[in-house]
Amino acid sequence: MNWPDLSMGGYGFYIWGSYAFSLIAIVWELVSLGQRKKALTQRQRQSSDTVPASVLRGSANETTS
Amino acid sequence: MLRWLVWRDLMLAWRRRADMLSTVFFFVIVVSLFPLGIGPETQLLRTIAPGVVWVAALLASMLSLGRLFANDYYDGTLEQLLLTPQPLFLVVLGKTLAHWIVAEVPLVLIAPLVGVQFDLRSDTLWILFASLLIGTPVLSLIGSVGAALTLGLRGGGVLISILVLPLYIPALIFGSGAVEASIIGSNPAPHLSLLGAFAIVSVLFSPFAAAAALRISLE
Amino acid sequence: MNLYRYASPAMFYPVAGKMIPWFSAAAAILFATGLFVGFFIAPPDFQQGEAYRIIFIHVPAAWMGMFLYVLMAIYAGIGWAFNARLSSMMASSLAITGAMFTAISLVTGAFWGKPTWGTWWVWDARMTSTLILMFLYIGFISLQAAIDDPRKADRAGAVLALVGVINVPIIYFSVNWWNTLHQGATIRILQKPTIRGSMLAALLIMLAACWFYSVAVVLMRLRCIILEREQNAARFAEVGV
Repeated sequence: MNWPDLSMGGYGFYIWGSYAFSLIAIVWELVSLGQRKKALTQRQRQSSDTVPASVLRGSANETTS
Repeated sequence: MLRWLVWRDLMLAWRRRADMLSTVFFFVIVVSLFPLGIGPETQLLRTIAPGVVWVAALLASMLSLGRLFANDYYDGTLEQLLLTPQPLFLVVLGKTLAHWIVAEVPLVLIAPLVGVQFDLRSDTLWILFASLLIGTPVLSLIGSVGAALTLGLRGGGVLISILVLPLYIPALIFGSGAVEASIIGSNPAPHLSLLGAFAIVSVLFSPFAAAAALRISLE
Repeated sequence: MNLYRYASPAMFYPVAGKMIPWFSAAAAILFATGLFVGFFIAPPDFQQGEAYRIIFIHVPAAWMGMFLYVLMAIYAGIGWAFNARLSSMMASSLAITGAMFTAISLVTGAFWGKPTWGTWWVWDARMTSTLILMFLYIGFISLQAAIDDPRKADRAGAVLALVGVINVPIIYFSVNWWNTLHQGATIRILQKPTIRGSMLAALLIMLAACWFYSVAVVLMRLRCIILEREQNAARFAEVGV
């Protein structure tokens, strides 16, 4: 096992830059998914007097014929 | 039926001749922009000529695609055509053929003239003509799929561009490759053959894809 | 056991919910392991020194971009052919993750290119094909975004994805050919480092990490899409549309 030097032999900017961008992309994807989910659950709660179609059908518990 | 359909589209296009001419003018203007943007040095212009002429042809085709189905869609004719007992892919093929004659053939005919602006030799001009003659059907056929998918959608011309331009790339590569081969003196025949192969494959498959897309757009 | 009932979005929703934590955890562990092996165990490359270590994210991302496109086309095709809503929703969900990986592949490819051959962008066959793949993703996402009716958007997307997936080999072939034509008899620009055992191991672990990550994220997005469509349907139902 070898301990790599952080400057990566001078290529540090490129290597850390790549991984930084990838990390940012992944974080962006997760954050935007979280926001999407939050907006949906908020809307669900707002219109909670309207029964969602899936619950109307009772599909969570029914068995198919 | 096919003949009637093509004739009808040609007649309708003839009544709106201005559309046909505007496509040609756009093509000529775009091609002329490049020397203005890059500089008049002849050797450089000769090098970029194949790419520039072909890209301008792609863009001009793209602009004309909106007219392929839209007019019939908006006045209800397209729905009636869907209801005929004729197979839909024949309808699509007929309209695409008419579109090619009206929108692309003028480009093919004027391209050699435009090629003169780039100081191309006469045999190269012939190859330019041939490459566009073989390649523009590919543009119309693949474009018909894009036009069918975006029928009636907002975002119109730009959306078609995003969908269709990546699919045009093989035709662009081999079409401009043929002209470039002629410029440097090597054999353009392989490029033209591959382009011809694309054209044949497009004729065989695009009408079906476009017909399926039309059904989806019109339901 | 009747598996077909999981083809219903409402039935699959809780199943997806149970899968997500497992795949997320596995992805996190695999990412950590892959990066550890890649940075601490794999030695520097003979030709490129440390710079080659970018491949541990660049190559898996590129492969994921391509795999997910094909998978997207398959799901879209199945959704269209069998009128299976859940299948089409999977395709829509895959598109964004696939586009993201393709973007990572392009950027990391540029970052790899600068130190190894001097320019940020080089029109070699692979990078150019990856760029075109990005355009294909953007086209699919734009088309679905432009159509309001979700089922119509599903079907239109399916046609586009299928046309795209058939064209991908043609595009790759022509770009490859275009590149060799214009490069002439010079050395191949993108020299892949000779893969040693530990490097290959790191690469494969990172690839697995990306797969598990993709499953988790795609399922998360799928649940959002299911909810969105249910809510829209319910809203239309209450208005009486």
